[in-house]
Amino acid sequence: MQDLAPPPTERRWRAFADVVAVALAANVWVSMVILPAAFVGALKHQSVALAAGLAPATLGLGLWRRSELLLLGVFPSAILVPIALRPEMAASHVYGPWRFGVVAIGLIAYLLGVSLFTTFHEPRRPISERLLTSAQQPRPARWRRRERIYWVLAFLALATPVYLITSVSYDADIQAAIASFYPGRIAPMTTLLTLTAVALSIAIYAVVLLGVMRPHRTGDRDLVTTLAIARADAVRGRPRLRFYLGVAAALGFMAAMVLLRNF
Amino acid sequence: MHRFFFFEILALALIGGSMFFFKEALEYLGERDYVAAAVVVGIGISVISVGKEMARLALVQRD
Repeated sequence: MQDLAPPPTERRWRAFADVVAVALAANVWVSMVILPAAFVGALKHQSVALAAGLAPATLGLGLWRRSELLLLGVFPSAILVPIALRPEMAASHVYGPWRFGVVAIGLIAYLLGVSLFTTFHEPRRPISERLLTSAQQPRPARWRRRERIYWVLAFLALATPVYLITSVSYDADIQAAIASFYPGRIAPMTTLLTLTAVALSIAIYAVVLLGVMRPHRTGDRDLVTTLAIARADAVRGRPRLRFYLGVAAALGFMAAMVLLRNF
Repeated sequence: MHRFFFFEILALALIGGSMFFFKEALEYLGERDYVAAAVVVGIGISVISVGKEMARLALVQRD
């Protein structure tokens, strides 16, 4: 006999999603705005105090409107407004590597939590279930290969911003270079470079990592065509013209280097 | 199958070896020798494109 107990109501799910969003957002707001502002004494400035209130207001509006744009786009942006007014709030000496890691985990938890729970809807339990014959077969090798690639892409999506932001904020050589080139403006320049690292990470994610996934969305049609052309080339047993161009360019650049060093 | 391993090892060696040129370019940039850095980056990009072609041939050989 199937268990036909009704699933939790939509209202209960919404209340649960709201509580999760408020708890995670409060953690982000306190750790990224209130504590750093208190640490550098920025809350004494009226503009910063007003800007600090933007994020909770946006959160309230986002929960009321149940808007993913407000919760996932505008709220994180509102967090950045007081930091933009007083860049030293995001300076590396305010955070330190460990605290930075904890805050980053809190931000990722907020984004994932809100993204998952605000869109999660439990489907009704079906009256009966029957497995498809293909579901009983072992997974084909091509899907296991793809899954490995997906995990590598997910790892790279996380590792790229972590590496760039950590290098900019905590690498001793880079900090020394900033101090040397921009004396007296270390905190704003570090913040600017950190934002550049974030922008670069987003560009790499959008162009490179999602770019690799794009052929899968279109059923690999382009990839299949490319592989067919590649196979036809391989049957001929000769590489493409760009191989010879690459070799010629490498040799040309090496010759230029030799000339540059000796004459 | 032998050709697959040959192409794959060659591709790995070329792509891995191209990293050396990019590292050299960083050192030249540190010394403010921008022309040398640009030339070495050119070598690195050329070597990596040759490695990419080898990897492509290896992939086709495997299929």
